[in-house]
Amino acid sequence: MSPEYIKEIVSHHQGELGALISILEDIQARHHYLPEDALRIVAEETGRSLVDIYGVATFYKAFSLKPRGKHHISVCMGTACHVRSAPGIVDEFTRELGLRPGETTQDREFTLETVNCLGTCALGPIVLVDGHYFSNVKRTDVKKIIAKTSSGFAEEPGDREDRLFPVEVYCPHCNHGLMDEQNRIEDYPAISLACSFNGTRGWVRMSSLYGSHCLESEHPFVADTPVKFFCPECHAELVGKAACLDCGFPMVTLGFQGGGSLLMCTRWGCNNSTISLNGHLWRDELRNDAREQIPG
Amino acid sequence: MDYLSSREEFTALQERLCSDYNADIPTIIIPAGTCGQASGASDLVRTAQREIIRRKLQDKLHLRVTGCHGFCQMEPSVLIEPAGTFYPRVDITGMKRIIDALVRQEVVEDLLFVDEETGQRIARQDDIPFYRHQSRLLLSQNEKIDPLDVYDYLRIGGYFAFVRLLADMEPRQVIEEVKDSELRGRGGAGFPTGMKWEFLSGAADGKGKYIVCNADEGDPGAYMDRSLLEGNPHSIIEGMLIGAYATGADQGVMYVRTEYPLAIKHLNNALKQSRALGLLGGNILGSGFSFDISLVKGAGAFVCGEETALMRSIEGRMGEPCQRPPFPVQKGIHGKPTLINNVETWANIPVVLRDGAQEYRKTGRMNTGTKIFSLVGKIKNTGLVEVPMGTPVREIIYDIGGGQSGKAGIKAVQTGGPSGGCIPAGMFDIPISYESLAQAGSIMGSGGMIVMDGNTCMIDVAKYFMNFLKDESCGKCFACRKGTQRMFELLDDIASGRGTLNHLKILEELALILKDVAMCGLGQTAPNPVLSTLKYFREEYLEHIEHKRCPAGVCKGLISFTISELCTGCGACVKACPEQAITGEKKQRHVIDQDRCSRCGACKSICKFEAVEIH
Amino acid sequence: MVTVTINGLDVRVEEGTTILEAARFVGFPIPTLCHNDGVSPYGACRLCVVEIGQEPRSKLVSSCTYPVEEGLKIRTASQRVVRARRMIIELLLASCPQSKTIQDLASAHGVRQQRFRQEHEDCILCGLCVRMCSEQMMAHAIGFRGRGEDRSIGTPFDMSSDVCRLCGACMYICPACQLRCTYNQPEHAICNACANLRPPCIEKEEYSDLMCYMKPCVACEIK
Repeated sequence: MSPEYIKEIVSHHQGELGALISILEDIQARHHYLPEDALRIVAEETGRSLVDIYGVATFYKAFSLKPRGKHHISVCMGTACHVRSAPGIVDEFTRELGLRPGETTQDREFTLETVNCLGTCALGPIVLVDGHYFSNVKRTDVKKIIAKTSSGFAEEPGDREDRLFPVEVYCPHCNHGLMDEQNRIEDYPAISLACSFNGTRGWVRMSSLYGSHCLESEHPFVADTPVKFFCPECHAELVGKAACLDCGFPMVTLGFQGGGSLLMCTRWGCNNSTISLNGHLWRDELRNDAREQIPG
Repeated sequence: MDYLSSREEFTALQERLCSDYNADIPTIIIPAGTCGQASGASDLVRTAQREIIRRKLQDKLHLRVTGCHGFCQMEPSVLIEPAGTFYPRVDITGMKRIIDALVRQEVVEDLLFVDEETGQRIARQDDIPFYRHQSRLLLSQNEKIDPLDVYDYLRIGGYFAFVRLLADMEPRQVIEEVKDSELRGRGGAGFPTGMKWEFLSGAADGKGKYIVCNADEGDPGAYMDRSLLEGNPHSIIEGMLIGAYATGADQGVMYVRTEYPLAIKHLNNALKQSRALGLLGGNILGSGFSFDISLVKGAGAFVCGEETALMRSIEGRMGEPCQRPPFPVQKGIHGKPTLINNVETWANIPVVLRDGAQEYRKTGRMNTGTKIFSLVGKIKNTGLVEVPMGTPVREIIYDIGGGQSGKAGIKAVQTGGPSGGCIPAGMFDIPISYESLAQAGSIMGSGGMIVMDGNTCMIDVAKYFMNFLKDESCGKCFACRKGTQRMFELLDDIASGRGTLNHLKILEELALILKDVAMCGLGQTAPNPVLSTLKYFREEYLEHIEHKRCPAGVCKGLISFTISELCTGCGACVKACPEQAITGEKKQRHVIDQDRCSRCGACKSICKFEAVEIH
Repeated sequence: MVTVTINGLDVRVEEGTTILEAARFVGFPIPTLCHNDGVSPYGACRLCVVEIGQEPRSKLVSSCTYPVEEGLKIRTASQRVVRARRMIIELLLASCPQSKTIQDLASAHGVRQQRFRQEHEDCILCGLCVRMCSEQMMAHAIGFRGRGEDRSIGTPFDMSSDVCRLCGACMYICPACQLRCTYNQPEHAICNACANLRPPCIEKEEYSDLMCYMKPCVACEIK
């Protein structure tokens, strides 16, 4: 294990309130559990005794010192879920997976856990799997949930039709259309942009299906690097004032005919995109005066 | 986003936002809090976006994705402004039809809410019984704003109360106003908020006073704080700004439980926006007043809702409570004076200052203001309800909640989570107030209201809470650690048929002493679920002990399943049974092998003919 | 100086003293388990509870952590206090009957029954050893782990600690008369790190020139 990134995490949270808990959370986000070595490095870096760190790591239920599975199943055991037979759901998972709450399957696929309340009590019993909420779960649903989880929440036929739709965008600075009729991705004209990262310039073509992350680019990108996008016509940088809700990076802003904007995170690999149709928000976004010309 | 450096700039922005906004344009409002998303609101949002973009309706239709409105059971739902039309449980096709109809200025009749009692369709949200009987002082704001957009909050008058008092009021006056409003802590114990503020204001001068928003909503079954955090994060920031100004605190902390990822996301975004606007940070609006808020995440510990434990957790240590004194206002986070209020309390503050204490006091009987409850369990309409203080329990359960959901009648309602107790149906006329609930052996708590019917076993409920508490007790104080563990043991004995009258005696004795001797609030209130069920449902305990019978058919050790002559031999239960305990010829009455049966109830829940009986 | 009333007796004590110190100073005994003058007060065992304030608003607080206040009315042995203490002792007996300290407490307070399911635990988690290790020995070798019924005391990862100097202070201060050690082999209940864990007096010939650090000596008293 490289101590470098842990040092980075520790220095990132330096001086913050509750820093230790945030540090452990960040480490756990990476490994899905807290490896012993990591705790030792944290102790060294923060100057706190290992026994303190270990105490915190074992006190809070969100932390695990044992490796956890790829898929994380949490069954809500809040009162509302309990009176609507959540214990039966746990039993069913236990039977199906051969796990008691807190355990992980041998193949490290599934971890079963119970959680005290997810705060969606009106829809109980609730099962949370890898960030996906299943509401009003019945015993008979358990098999389906496991199957759906193993398939990586693959879309069911028809889903794609409903969830993905093509958009047509233009540059908010020069009003020039950005759709590339010659180059089609997933049967639709691609969104064609110029981009630069780490001093490299090139083109990128993205699928115009909102929600799809298919794209082609001149150069291979490096994950987690910020990428700058430019209009191929007026060369203005396409960056708005909004920041990505997931990672805090700035968002690219593209306009729709008729109003509204499409926002995309500029961190490579983030895939977060949203549509803003809220009157003043997108107008404000497009009122972007600071134009940066494409370098070189 | 423009940095605001003076009150004039703030007023100008607010005026611009109001004049830019055309309230006549139909707006599609989709609640997409955690519960909305869990029931599929994201699909509706996409469909609406798709249709609006495809048909270039941007200027004819607005779309607003908001936090939770309260009627979670009907989600994913759609609300149309300004008409106030409410569509429950909308699917993707429904969404398309609603947009079609909106363009033609029509209403989709067959998608409207149906009142089960009258069979009538109700178009307007405000006419639906669930909403009609509420006074939604705080929750109604959730519909009006996109929680990710500070401009929406500003448009409806947000931050106005704070900006006004920043210029026109002395901190002293603000405290007087809050005291005058008689607002009491919404987190459970109901300590007068103004008085708490006065203590902090009186604590030693100088840098380094903390105010904390306790958003560690750990009570299972309560989620009103989540809906406020997700749906209206700026109102809490504004409340804290007002509190900081009044008490002279310069640092704010929001302690949010990690189980609420969406709330954390929305709060982080809101904090960022407020900072960008200059409403948080140094020299706010050129007034010389500085204040900033940092967000601290919990890591899954119920006990961290207790103030002293919460402070330890904010310091990055194990969340162990300490005995008070010293109180947090004397010695809090890192030894600095600290004030802790709950989310709902903070959300009430802007309302108090906006309307004035006198106006605020007009709402509610016995105590002032409103209280949000999460009405869940065996009830027809589940969701968040906001009612004035003093509303009788009956009104909440029957008028708003619509009464029982199944065949079994409502037996009791549990309030206050693991620290609260059960109120039997016979006492539903008591009004909701801190005092009356305490008198009934429960507490206001953070506002969970779990309805229980004839199929809920009270011993099982008490056992559930003890199981919860023995895991969630920090374990520092011996009385709480062993007390909850032993109470669970005794209840488990009773529930599995090993109980004697002696068990009951020890249970009661232990519960009363634990209440007295435990160190912190968690331990002192831990016996409440046991004591209140013993008080109102002793019969049920005796039934378990003397006749080894569980009247509700819940306690596995005391029940058995049989198949009656109603059985058609369909074989559904055979497949459902995980123990292969059911046998029988096709189209013949099936039989359960009692030795193999694990009493899981799978057969009963799958049987369409109600042939499976519990004894 | 502040004036407090302890069991009807007006006492003037220094500001900042705890109720426990004040009561002991004037001679009222209050039993304790997790308290030791050498380490910071903790308030965990709840044995030292006393009743403060006027009926009916009086309440029980742990005297070891509660600082005296002017005019405070304290009762160290009211019926409510005694009842609570007896229940605590009964709970202690149910968990840790092999401890001589606890057996002594039971007989001193007239606890004649134990009605719970009998357990045999070694540790009552009073935390004296943890505080001893960090505050007096500055070692930070052992600490609390987990929470609720899974809470325990020990070293991180149940491995022999790099910072433990095997000073034995944790064992010296333990009121449950259990020799607690920093297991270095979790699968063996007996620790190998300090093979001489048994009090030296047991094998007198072999260790005749060693001084016994157990005071009062457990081994000699139990037989």
